[in-house]
Amino acid sequence: MSAVTKADPAGPAGSARPLSERRPLGDISFQALALAAGLLVLVILVLIAISTSQQASSWFSTEGVKIFSSTWNPSANQFGALPFIYGTAVTAIIALVIAVPVSVAIALLLTEVVPYRWSRPIVYVIDLLAVIPSVVWGLWGILVFAPWIQHIYASVSSGVNGIPVLDSLFGGPTSGASFFTAGIILAFMITPIVTSLSREVIATVPAIDKEGAYALGATRWEMIRGAVWPHSQAGVVGAVLLGLGRAMGETIAVALVIGSSATITSHLLAPGYNMPAVIANEFGEASGLFRAALIGMGVLLFAFTIIINVIARAVVERSGRRKRGA
Amino acid sequence: MGFFNMQRRRIQRVTTVGFAAVAMASFVAACGSSGGGGSSSSGSSSSSSSAALSGTLNGSGSTLQLTYQQAAIQAFKSVQSGMTVNYGGGGSGKGRTDLASGTVNYAGSDSPIPSDETANFKGKTVLYFPDVIAPVTVSYNLSGVKNLKLTAPVIANIFQAKITKWNDPAITSLNPGVKLPSTAITIAHRSDSSGTTANFSEFLVEGAPGVWKLSSGSTINWPANSRGGNGNGGVAQIIKSTPGAIGYVDYADAKASGLVFASIKNKDGQYVLPSVSSAAAAASQTTVKADLTFSAIWATGGSSYPITAQSWVLVYQKQPNGNDVKMLQAWIGYLIGDGQKLLPSIGFAPLPASIDSKAKAQLSKISS
Amino acid sequence: MAVTTGQQTADLREPPSWRRSKNRIATVLMITAFVLVIIPLGFVLYTVIAKGISIISWQFLTASIPPNVLPASIGGMGPAVVGTLEITALATVLAVPLGVLGAVYLNEYGGNKLLAKIIGFMSDVMTGVPSIVMGLFIFSIWVLHFGYSGLAGALALGCLMLPIVIRSTYEMLRLVPDPLREASYALGASKARVTVTVVLPTALGGIVSGALLAIARAAGETAPLLFTILTVTTVNRNVFSGANTSLPSQIFANASSPYVGAQARGWGAALTLIAIAFILMVIARLVTARFSRHLR
Repeated sequence: MSAVTKADPAGPAGSARPLSERRPLGDISFQALALAAGLLVLVILVLIAISTSQQASSWFSTEGVKIFSSTWNPSANQFGALPFIYGTAVTAIIALVIAVPVSVAIALLLTEVVPYRWSRPIVYVIDLLAVIPSVVWGLWGILVFAPWIQHIYASVSSGVNGIPVLDSLFGGPTSGASFFTAGIILAFMITPIVTSLSREVIATVPAIDKEGAYALGATRWEMIRGAVWPHSQAGVVGAVLLGLGRAMGETIAVALVIGSSATITSHLLAPGYNMPAVIANEFGEASGLFRAALIGMGVLLFAFTIIINVIARAVVERSGRRKRGA
Repeated sequence: MGFFNMQRRRIQRVTTVGFAAVAMASFVAACGSSGGGGSSSSGSSSSSSSAALSGTLNGSGSTLQLTYQQAAIQAFKSVQSGMTVNYGGGGSGKGRTDLASGTVNYAGSDSPIPSDETANFKGKTVLYFPDVIAPVTVSYNLSGVKNLKLTAPVIANIFQAKITKWNDPAITSLNPGVKLPSTAITIAHRSDSSGTTANFSEFLVEGAPGVWKLSSGSTINWPANSRGGNGNGGVAQIIKSTPGAIGYVDYADAKASGLVFASIKNKDGQYVLPSVSSAAAAASQTTVKADLTFSAIWATGGSSYPITAQSWVLVYQKQPNGNDVKMLQAWIGYLIGDGQKLLPSIGFAPLPASIDSKAKAQLSKISS
Repeated sequence: MAVTTGQQTADLREPPSWRRSKNRIATVLMITAFVLVIIPLGFVLYTVIAKGISIISWQFLTASIPPNVLPASIGGMGPAVVGTLEITALATVLAVPLGVLGAVYLNEYGGNKLLAKIIGFMSDVMTGVPSIVMGLFIFSIWVLHFGYSGLAGALALGCLMLPIVIRSTYEMLRLVPDPLREASYALGASKARVTVTVVLPTALGGIVSGALLAIARAAGETAPLLFTILTVTTVNRNVFSGANTSLPSQIFANASSPYVGAQARGWGAALTLIAIAFILMVIARLVTARFSRHLR
């Protein structure tokens, strides 16, 4: 007993404090503070939903179901959001189609192919990709990438002229700033997050499954197909969904390279528009119903990304991330 | 015990450093020198208009007059060194919105307040001070083609995507002897709410009645596959970087960007290039209303440029305090007075004398 | 793959050629994927460095922002640098303590309670909320009542940083070995004291590096600032009131400009921004390597 009391910094040497003493005020208030900080997350999310919906209420009530119409004409007070919802979906899908195979391939590269010593530099490169701000992607995109890729688009478009499906996708008028360019830049931006999450998921595959496949004479690729993939595919789906959420919400790079044309067209190489881009570009001078419409699209964006993120996180959790720690 | 004490001391050190850093940062932030927004009441109260004033004025709006605002702000520093003027651009629509919400002291707008925006101003009187006459060019990007001639109906059909290739007969018939390629036409327009758009579309309404179907306004329902740019600068950038593009850009920005523009057939049937003199010619033909709004679009006169726009500075007649009144009178007085001398070199036409004197007379109406 | 007998083992060690080539193709594809990623990264970095380095100078970092039409040799991005530093600093002061406290709640007090699970889950979900929504949020509840200011921008950036800091701090706190806590409790320390004097200092390296990464992210964000600071071109040292500007806001504005000077200043600002983010990232790695060695 005396050894305990001598070492006790909280009380004078020699006094034995009963273990069931009421907790000091500082302890309770610290816990309350921590709880408040944690609750702040929920409070903020709820406030976002309430305040933005309130600002957008005039749009919702005036237009009713017509908020999903395809006519966007501010000077005629028509604010149908369908062209932007379409653009958001299209650019996100293009981004996923490009980024997911690449990201999963890199994740497999890091976990299965490359020895640990070499994986660190590769991870640094991926992190470097993640650290480039959206606005720098946009700056490079509109000043360097778009004028360069414009020529490629023009050749592609004249090349597919007449071929049934390809023409409607890649034919028609082309522009350096277009759905497709926005999709490509988005792909660069979501690759880090899909890669890192896929890596975590793939790393949870028990070594025993992998070793067993090798023991049966499988090549590495066959091992990946047989042992890694079935185990991690749910988690990779979750990673893909997270990438989708990120692609839908990415604003500034898209605003600069998408072409600012509110149209619903199948031509991916033509200028387009999407929800975050129109909000960023036109919020400054919007007022009244116009502003309510833009905030309303922000509400829709919030709802979509929350739903996608909830599903994604649930899927990833269930597939079991590797548990670290003591 | 030693371990815990060491930890405690380390924590104390860290928190002390942290608090010091936070305190220092707040101190620096709190005693900031030039505060933004609104006005400061620390001005000298002299009744002479040439007395030294101090404070900040914020404006936003039209990018048509952005070049002038920026040039004038620089030059004004030697007139009133104690005043800081900020002009944020952003488009005429933004300027009017910011003025209505009280975020700025003055707005730049290329068109009078449209009827669907008047309610935002809550009945307060807004004064219009015209300050620039600006030709709006129809600029294009076609290598080797320098002297394109266009008429209002042809322009209307180009911007409605009814004419889609440069070698369309409608264009070639106006330009005999000029080799026009079969490149597709890319339309460049404003993506933000713009007075330049309002003036350009007004020109098409008046110059191509029956042909132009998209009416006039700060935003237009442009055809699909056209590209939008932010501000006059954004449209200029699109034209500059896209072969085959055509768009409307104010003269000052077009010249500074090195763009090539077309000569346009005016009301009297003459093909006129945009320039300071052709814009001044158009402005001299207009009649001005009592509130100093007018339109120089589609003016008569053989040497008038048909897409001559104008821009105003909008302020509330009633200001919150005397210093704001003095600052605004000094600043706007400069814009319509000595500042006008800056205009020709940057690509604008000065106000015709009759309009200018009416504007100067209106200055005294700003009061608190 | 050692074989115990001396028999022919070719068929165990050497799969038939078509399986081998499939394997090889797969490996080549995976490496190609990585190369596909390096190319744009290298391209962007090269362009930013090449175009930005010629304009970067002390004058560039401190001079005022000139009208767009003026050439690159005149003026600089001083107000934007000041704005970025002060707004990001304020956002850090707001978000990091709250984030650390939130993670403390989740790891030390929350345990298996349903509320803690919900908070942890929604905190992760919150990292996926688009930054533009954060900007609209602060616009709706703050700017409409109190006007544009650097503080509003900092609030928006803080909302962005909060879940990131919570997640990274939480991971760090989890790594602190329980025996350390238990020993402290055995000595009679209260939970708060244990947390503040034992757990947090032990995890400090990781917490700091996680915070630095969040700061790097916030410094580069544009969308939350669009609706909260009303981008101006003059310097505003008072972060609590009045419109402000920042490096990303200026880059966004200059990106749509046709003037070579404005574009050059944009590249310079981009290089500055990447340099800031990169330096923060490197410091974060150094801190992790130095202080968290005993936890890994």
